[in-house]
Amino acid sequence: MKEINLKKYKKHFKGYTELRLQENKQVNISFVNGSNKNNIQDSSAGVSARVNQNGAWGFASTPGTSRNDVKNIINEAQKNASFLARRKKTKKELNKKYNGRGDWDYSTAKPRLSQKELVQFMQKLDNHIEQKYTKLKSRSLFLNTLDMEKRLLTSESQVSYSLFPRSFIYVKLSTEKNGEKFEITDSFGGLGHFEDNFSEPADLYSEINELYNHLMKKREGVYAEAGSCECILDSELAGILAHEAFGHTVEADLVKSGSVAETYMNKKVAAPAVSMIDYANKAFGETCPVPVHVDDEGIQARDTVIIEDGILKSYMHNRETAREFDAEPTGHGRAFSFSDEPLIRMRNTAILPGEHTLSEMISSIEDGYYLIRPSNGQADSTSEFMFGIILGYKIKNGKLGRAIRDTTISGVAVDVLQSVSMISDDITWISSGMCGKKQSIPVGLGGPAVKCRVNLGGR
Amino acid sequence: MQNSNDLKSYLELLSKAGADKAQCTLNKRRLFEINVESDEISLLRTTYNQELNLNVIRNQARGNININQITDSAVKKAARQAVRIAESSQPDEAHDISPGPLNKKFEKGPDREDRNKMYELLAEFLHQVQQKYPLINLEQVNFRFYNNNRQLSNTNNVYLSEQKSFYTFSTMFMAKKGDQTSSFNHTRFSSLNLQEGLLKKGSIAQLLAQSEKQIKTKSIPEKFTGDIIITPDCLSDFINMYINISLRDNPLIEGTSMFADQLEQKAADSKFTLYSRPVDPDTAGGYFITGDGFLSENAVIFKNGVLKRFLLSQYGANKTGREMSNNRGGAYVVEPGEMTRNKIIKTVDRGLLVARFSGGSPNQNGDFSGIAKNSFYIEKGQIKYPVAETMISGNLKNIFNNIGAISNKRINFGDDILPWILTTGITISGGN
Repeated sequence: MKEINLKKYKKHFKGYTELRLQENKQVNISFVNGSNKNNIQDSSAGVSARVNQNGAWGFASTPGTSRNDVKNIINEAQKNASFLARRKKTKKELNKKYNGRGDWDYSTAKPRLSQKELVQFMQKLDNHIEQKYTKLKSRSLFLNTLDMEKRLLTSESQVSYSLFPRSFIYVKLSTEKNGEKFEITDSFGGLGHFEDNFSEPADLYSEINELYNHLMKKREGVYAEAGSCECILDSELAGILAHEAFGHTVEADLVKSGSVAETYMNKKVAAPAVSMIDYANKAFGETCPVPVHVDDEGIQARDTVIIEDGILKSYMHNRETAREFDAEPTGHGRAFSFSDEPLIRMRNTAILPGEHTLSEMISSIEDGYYLIRPSNGQADSTSEFMFGIILGYKIKNGKLGRAIRDTTISGVAVDVLQSVSMISDDITWISSGMCGKKQSIPVGLGGPAVKCRVNLGGR
Repeated sequence: MQNSNDLKSYLELLSKAGADKAQCTLNKRRLFEINVESDEISLLRTTYNQELNLNVIRNQARGNININQITDSAVKKAARQAVRIAESSQPDEAHDISPGPLNKKFEKGPDREDRNKMYELLAEFLHQVQQKYPLINLEQVNFRFYNNNRQLSNTNNVYLSEQKSFYTFSTMFMAKKGDQTSSFNHTRFSSLNLQEGLLKKGSIAQLLAQSEKQIKTKSIPEKFTGDIIITPDCLSDFINMYINISLRDNPLIEGTSMFADQLEQKAADSKFTLYSRPVDPDTAGGYFITGDGFLSENAVIFKNGVLKRFLLSQYGANKTGREMSNNRGGAYVVEPGEMTRNKIIKTVDRGLLVARFSGGSPNQNGDFSGIAKNSFYIEKGQIKYPVAETMISGNLKNIFNNIGAISNKRINFGDDILPWILTTGITISGGN
């Protein structure tokens, strides 16, 4: 990212102002059935300013980074804020000051691989899959790396800097039986540059073998039976339950708009065994998949305890909602691109581990399902949620049975969380997806396995 | 402002760096947006951006680079890097650029936004919603003006330019009474002008009124197989799912499309005719140029249930040996039927009016399941009550092959024009 001294523009600020310089760099490489379909480098950089006047926000951004560009964009954001402020009937100043600061760089210390070496890595992985798994109808491999680099100055704070890289390899395998098609996907990687997440293609072979075995079982799979049932949601699904189903309803902007959580504060929203935290940057002694230290409003990021022993303890705030709810902001104002304004976003949301083992949990179910991998998820203001399921098994008399075909689960998060009767003693994070809320942004979802009741789509 | 000469100089840089073939695309975008959050106008946002894509083929291998810092030195560096990326790629005979010579320019939409009018219309909308729909909370409204300029040039002597501007309006809302909340719903429209009130556009008024009735919902009595009437807002999702898993590059290249051998064959009910009209003069948005540098055209995708074309890019066509399409979907128009919406409801013995689908991505066989959101239970031809936690499961092929009726009235979203569709044989289950 181009080096710019943001401090020299502070004299142009009028009222509360954020000035952010940001560059997102991406690499995308894909192989479809052995063909190198895409090999792309992408860079998007620029400057944005956001200004608050009497509670009205003005925002402007430009890819230009010259002295004049930066001055003009501050000026345009001020004009935008004035346009609204002049027409606003009620005035709401952001009167409380916050002073987040610091530098965080998660770059690799290892020598960087060339684009050619990245392509060769993917090709070797593709060759291995082609040669070993002859029953496949098709295979797709996709590498995405993202470096998000930000420099932020607010009218209240010093300059903060962050470089957050992530890298993922996505694998999709398909097969056929009697003319019907079956597919399975998985992703590998996480926080860090490619070199920190991957060393040799062979390191992924056992996980790909496991994926292939699941696909072969899915090929012989049955339709799930539609209706309410007892399930074990494995860690990926528990993570998405925490984020999608409950987390969104307690984002303070959605609470303000009328989400069902408006009347739940300090009330029972889950079984006593359930606690849920949105971690800022460290959890269980390790760095989270999406570490946030200072958010894009200049707030020092701290953990937010959302549910403690089944009781709702806190919403997630930005500067504005914190003022309105008389709460302290804990660093949820985040933007994806230089041209995006910060919104209230989760960071690393997890249900905390319990005390059971997964095998104990499976043994405890007479007739139900063990659901392992989601495809996508959506939530509602009512806390009703839906997750697509692409990998799961039947449980009969405490034992895993046949694989099931793709299905969907749904429920009301508060009811499902109240129905939680067992929680496993481990935790796994997933972070390969993006959360969509006007803008897409990386998030971390963590969970143990949880036993609960949900509705299953099927036949 | 870069012009055709700039693109020409970029192509020269790429050729000098070693490209056998090269294509450059320059996008310049200006966005003006007024935002509503929780019933209040909260943010005014203007963004400027530019993206230069350098697409290189060398020894039949392709490399792509996108940059938005477009200075002479940055472009020179990017041109060298684009060739290096191509050199790092595996060769594929299917890579190519669009053929020339061709030189065309297109323009659509107003030059600039009328921001005072946008503000006035939005303020009027907020006031009207407050007056007419007192239970509605507007979670978010984005009222935008896009001004996009796109130029594409390549070493086959192609130069295409598209100047396009239009307004879009999208809103997400819910109804609330005491501590009870409806599901959120959302809708949108796009427009080339600002002639009438926002509440009159698309399906906004209908959906706001429906949400006020959806605060108290009820579970369906039991699991059953029945009919569903898919509303225009929801139909857009089903059409996109159907097309994405069967007619585009990836499913056809991977060999997973369920329609791989069904061109010119029946793939939907004979009542179903679907057009894609990206170059209609009345379509807001749309596209005159495809992403890979061909002139776009309007197309019929299904004619009386017969599949008329795949939506393949040049690469997809070369890879599969099929015909390329100058239409890549979007701006969907479904031919209307003959029955009124109310008459269609009267034909349903047992089923749902499905206004929003929240579901998992359908698999390659077209199987889908998900929640029928903002939906109503229908029994013996009458809408009975809004439903809670109701799951629908079925197959997309069946949805489009078992069409019982299509409404005579359609909703014009400014790009899509869609009716209500009745389809049968859907598994409907509740949480009980």
